[in-house]
Amino acid sequence: MGKAPRDQGDVAHDQASAPAYANRLTRRESLKLLAALAASAMLPALPATGSTTTGDVAGGAAGDGHWPQLELQPVTARGYGKDPDLMTPPEAPWPLTLTPAQLSLLAVLSDIIVPAEGQSPSASEVQVPTVVDEWVSAPYPAQQHDRLTILSALAWLDDEAALRFSQGFTALGRPQQLAIIDDIAYDNDQTPRQFRRIAGAFARLRNLVLAAYFCTPDGMEDIGYLGNVAIAGDYPGPTPEAYRHLETVLAELGLGEFAYPVG
Amino acid sequence: MNDPAYPVLVVGSGAGGAMAAWELTRQGHKVLMLEAGRHYDPRTETPMFRPNADAPLMGAATPDKDFGYYDSTVNGGWQVPDEPYTTAEGSEFLWWRSRMLGGRTNHWGRYSLRFSEHDFKGKSRDGLGADWPFDYDEIAPWYDRTEALIGVCGTNTGLDDMPPSSEGVLQPPPRPRIPELLIAAAAKKHGITAVPMHRAVLTRPLDDRAPCFYATPCGYGCSIGAAFQTTTSLLPMAQATGNLRIVTDAMVKTVTTDADGQVTGVTYVDKKTGTERQVGAKVVVLAASACESARILLNSRSARHPGGLANSSGQVGRNLMDSTGAGLSALVPALMDRPRYNEDGHTANHLFIPWWGHEAQARGELDFPRGYHFELGGRFSEPGAYVSGNLQGYGPELKRQVRAHYGAYVSFALRGEMLPNEHCYMDIDPQVTDKWGIPVPRFHWRWSEHELRQVAHGLKTAKAILETMGATVGELPAPEEAIKKGGEIIHEVGTTRMGESPTDSVTNQWGQTWDCPNLFVMDGGVFASNPHKNCTLTIMTLAMRNSAWLADQLKAETL
Repeated sequence: MGKAPRDQGDVAHDQASAPAYANRLTRRESLKLLAALAASAMLPALPATGSTTTGDVAGGAAGDGHWPQLELQPVTARGYGKDPDLMTPPEAPWPLTLTPAQLSLLAVLSDIIVPAEGQSPSASEVQVPTVVDEWVSAPYPAQQHDRLTILSALAWLDDEAALRFSQGFTALGRPQQLAIIDDIAYDNDQTPRQFRRIAGAFARLRNLVLAAYFCTPDGMEDIGYLGNVAIAGDYPGPTPEAYRHLETVLAELGLGEFAYPVG
Repeated sequence: MNDPAYPVLVVGSGAGGAMAAWELTRQGHKVLMLEAGRHYDPRTETPMFRPNADAPLMGAATPDKDFGYYDSTVNGGWQVPDEPYTTAEGSEFLWWRSRMLGGRTNHWGRYSLRFSEHDFKGKSRDGLGADWPFDYDEIAPWYDRTEALIGVCGTNTGLDDMPPSSEGVLQPPPRPRIPELLIAAAAKKHGITAVPMHRAVLTRPLDDRAPCFYATPCGYGCSIGAAFQTTTSLLPMAQATGNLRIVTDAMVKTVTTDADGQVTGVTYVDKKTGTERQVGAKVVVLAASACESARILLNSRSARHPGGLANSSGQVGRNLMDSTGAGLSALVPALMDRPRYNEDGHTANHLFIPWWGHEAQARGELDFPRGYHFELGGRFSEPGAYVSGNLQGYGPELKRQVRAHYGAYVSFALRGEMLPNEHCYMDIDPQVTDKWGIPVPRFHWRWSEHELRQVAHGLKTAKAILETMGATVGELPAPEEAIKKGGEIIHEVGTTRMGESPTDSVTNQWGQTWDCPNLFVMDGGVFASNPHKNCTLTIMTLAMRNSAWLADQLKAETL
């Protein structure tokens, strides 16, 4: 990461020990800091010449905190077309576009979202960041929409890390990282206003990371998907345990007398 | 380019065209089939067992592959490259096509429900739409033959919405799964019965087709032939007779006529070279899909047929109908963290809810005509590009939430009957042509109060059943917002409807056009109404029956 502006050093030092940055930095001061950060080229993916602003940057009104106004070059790669090879899907259907710094940040986030646990690997161990890179690099409208959301979230996280701790997010210690993530990973009525937008963006990233994780062989084992295997003879139907569970549910809901007859 | 060796020319290789070709070639008639799409071989092109993780974007739907990467549709979907269609101002309509041998049968849902006497005579009952020009009893034996030929699993339920198949016709259905059993019990409390779905999926071997092994979605296509598609059954069977010749990449442009207005053959574009060709035939059978066949007829104008061929009634392109569609789903807390087992089954409904309201309707208790059914969703499906649940946080606790929500959502998909109305039709766009210079269809669409009231009823009913299961369902959307767009259910029919009289229909009950005795239509265009039961079984049944009649005429040389 680039260097933090010198005159913010004391603030950052204080933040590291007392992370209630909102009490130390007024909104006006934080905007001033952001301007300084932008000038020092710390922000990824800031204006490129001739680029156009894409997606839902509208609504970045007061109360959204320091939502980054990214101007992204539209992805111009071609899709896989209307008659792709279904038997051997392309390994690289379009060029990946994330920078090494973005990928590293994504890996850290992916492993916060899905850490290694027991026999299950972490998200980055099963290449989830690459799947996310493929997703945000895809030339289709839904993915381009997600691209803006997710790249904005990455930029926000680095900005927030710089504001609180004077370092990029990946350079922070885990407790500092989690201090930020704890503020944005719960999107509910109690979410402070300045974190609502990033909480929504983080939720989109989280869902993508989870999807990429759970459709790997390890993830399918973790979630308990037992299908996609050929069965000889008739479909066996639910297990005795599953039927017992259903019986309990029907009884609890008062539906026992309406049970569908199973032979 | 006239080829006298082929007395019958069939346009299209999907449900109607392939069945016509099978019935005619089986009886010894030579058939030339023209298919607008490319050759397709399900034995080598079906991505059986391929996991979502191996596909781009985890298999997610994209504008290139609207139903996901592995969906079997080739060069199609809501848009076909170089082959646009238009919608009139204020109309929304979606037109699904595929450009491949076997057409849309390679990916269809395989739901195969018979229409009943009720369905064929709706107008006699409520004065709306049109009756069909025959009774259920006349077509019942042909349903038996079709079901036995294509292979349908299910049971005779004895319900008034589901006429029985003859003994021994249906194959046994697969066992229901837990979410279906819970929905069935909750529905029963409301006096609504869930029963085994009828699907064109083998549970027993048939000919050289293997029974289902209960894995890999039928929408990918089925290389073992368990899920019915014409490319593993009717087409190879017809080819084995030695009487069928198939030409792919042949996009039919017009049906040609002689000075007397009788049909002489077709013109088509050879898509590989871009050249236009002409081929002669004694009889032409259009089975290109309801809207494609109507398009061909409307584009076949001549001095003798100024409004398009076979259109003296003015009904070609009119009476366009789709099924109504709407969905409602919810988290069922009682299904969270339930015991795992393999719920793939035959990858679609084992149980569904047929229309239960015939009696209430007869008593005047409902504010809409005709009926609908519910297709039921919810199971431990293969993980893909989206994860369900109102998820919060991160780490092991987040993963626990994902596991808890897995297989705990159920959904109701309403599929209902739409009445024809004067605002729903297709004509030919006066300006736009496709890459081949062929003028394209322009769609006009407006749902009527009948459909909106039906959808409102369906949503209310689904909500009541979901709440009985302990689900929390929010406020229901207005039916105008909930109803799917015209064409979106991909059950478009009616554009060349059959009837009793040349004044208000395009064909007679045999699919023979009133205006040209040697021109037939054997796709969904001939439907006089669009009952809520998915159309493909009836398309095939009519194609078999009407091709058998055509074969008799050819033998008797009466055409």
